[in-house]
Amino acid sequence: MRLRELVRKEIAELAASRAFWLLLLIVGLLTGQSFITAMNAYAEASGIGGGPAALAQGLSPLDGILTPTLGAYDLAITLLFPFVAIRLIASEKSSDALKLMLQWPASIERQIAAKAISLIGAWIASLVPFFIALALWRGYGGHLHAAEVLNLLAGYTLRFLLTAAIAVAAAALMSGAANAAIVVLAFTIGTWALDFIAAGRGGIVQTLASFTPTATLRGFERGLFRVDVVLVMLILAIFGFALAANWLHLGRSIKARMAGTAVLLILASLGVINVLMLVRTSFDVSENRRNSFSAADENLLARLPEALNITPFLSSEDPRMADFENNVLVKLRRSVPELRVVYPLAGRSGLFENDAHYGEIVYRLGMKTATSRSTTEEIVLDTIYELASMRAPVRAPSTYPGYPLAKRAGGAGWVFYGLWPAMVIGTWRATRHVKRSAGGPPAVSPRARRQP
Amino acid sequence: MNLTVTHLSARRGTRTVLTDVSFTAYPAQILGVIGPNGAGKTTLFECVAGVLPFDSGKVDNDLLFYVPDAIRPWPDQTVRWTLELTARMFDTRLDETLLDDLDLVALQHATVRSLSKGEAKRLDIAIGLASPRTVLLLDEPFDGLDLRQTRQVMNVLRRDAAKGRTLVLSIHQLSDAARACDRFLLLDHGKSVAEGTLDELTAGTGGLEEVFLALT
Repeated sequence: MRLRELVRKEIAELAASRAFWLLLLIVGLLTGQSFITAMNAYAEASGIGGGPAALAQGLSPLDGILTPTLGAYDLAITLLFPFVAIRLIASEKSSDALKLMLQWPASIERQIAAKAISLIGAWIASLVPFFIALALWRGYGGHLHAAEVLNLLAGYTLRFLLTAAIAVAAAALMSGAANAAIVVLAFTIGTWALDFIAAGRGGIVQTLASFTPTATLRGFERGLFRVDVVLVMLILAIFGFALAANWLHLGRSIKARMAGTAVLLILASLGVINVLMLVRTSFDVSENRRNSFSAADENLLARLPEALNITPFLSSEDPRMADFENNVLVKLRRSVPELRVVYPLAGRSGLFENDAHYGEIVYRLGMKTATSRSTTEEIVLDTIYELASMRAPVRAPSTYPGYPLAKRAGGAGWVFYGLWPAMVIGTWRATRHVKRSAGGPPAVSPRARRQP
Repeated sequence: MNLTVTHLSARRGTRTVLTDVSFTAYPAQILGVIGPNGAGKTTLFECVAGVLPFDSGKVDNDLLFYVPDAIRPWPDQTVRWTLELTARMFDTRLDETLLDDLDLVALQHATVRSLSKGEAKRLDIAIGLASPRTVLLLDEPFDGLDLRQTRQVMNVLRRDAAKGRTLVLSIHQLSDAARACDRFLLLDHGKSVAEGTLDELTAGTGGLEEVFLALT
């Protein structure tokens, strides 16, 4: 059976679901609120109304407009989309439509693929308010860097895909929609907890935490496209959808479905482990190259003769640690071929540290060791070059001009709070009308006419 | 095409729900599966259709279609959408006479959710008939229908069987079963206790009810 027919059916089911239209309505309102707030903050930072303007180079649309506006979608993906995805499975399970579907010539795997495609369609439809926000931003004279926009959208799409897969799997495994929703929310809260616990800990916990939805988004929001993150998210999403298909085979015994789950789990684990071990490629697509050292520095670091070991004696909650992690280690991981970071104070608050070494960062390259307390990029690089007996390159100043825009989001309120709800409600009513009148005007059966 | 089920057994946890059930249904005939509540009629249908696992036995026909009892599939969609979907999924077109035969023309634009019990039952039967599969299993096709509708549905099913389809119906009303079916399979406690035509089963007894009471 053609996949197109199945996708058509799933789209009709989405369009018939009030949850989907409600989601579109709320996403528009949330996006509008985020965009207008971001625009106002950006305008103030740009010196609107005669206030002091921030340094132009510090004003990036990626941080100031795109990320906060898409933040609305983070909320929607966490709290709204799971219900739309769960409904696609749970309603067919509870109405016994699934028993009919299992007898169709199309395999359940193909039917789940159709559901995944239709959910991606729903995601794209929900992005319309974001595209409206982009158009308004451009209309106000704002600047956009295409690679940053596409990268950010890719990140959010992967985040959505993973959540949808988890929701679909939960709906297939659990007995009702409410139970499935609890499982999805528990997963989300679990990843938040992991993200919080793993910060600055290093080791396997931090590696795992770097693949939580929140952590992966952080990379995309910085303009970083990590191939390993993309592959792991895709593997996990495919695992979720495959798990759903496995558990919807009602004609298979529980034992067979458990065995199927084990096989899928092994395959997904092997895939993830391979990606973690083999893939390190990443692309800095940010316009201001915030995830990279200068080209001269990257060339030098790539030629370090031995493995570089770094031991920061900083607790995970120390702001200097966060600064070092986000502004230095992120770049070093992309540039140094062999980098090992040990976190000796992981899990400690740092509030009551009496150790004289606290705050030190120890660098070791071969037999040579150096200690510094600085988390500043230039000083860290100079320390490493000194250890490697290399001469620091001449660093050209950043050419990123920054894009201040001292304008309020005039008219955006009307678009998001007036036009968008009217469009959603109007389209919803139109689809209902089309559905009822499909196939021509209602005919009257000769028998129905005969009977009173 | 025949539907032959041999030595089918199924367990749910520690409970045996079907034990060594065998039967054959023939083309252009209606086989009625009768038995008291809890006899295993629905379980038998679901195992045969492959939507429930079974432990042992064989079903030699996978070109069958089973419609469960009292379902309201895709409740937010219309009756016509549901029937067209079923036909489309089997790469065929919806036979419009089906709507007329089952008094669904006036309901074709109503949502499945809004149907009454009897209307939903007629839709369920139409879903089964919209499939081109050569063997059709319907669970309680007359449940929820009034006398006129029951007779009307019986006629539709008989006409469909006459075209060569093999029909297997689960029926708890013996009077309906006696009127609609050519042959019978009597189930009790998950076991097949009798199989045959009405004459074969009632030989030497009063009727189907007497056979039912004697064997179950």
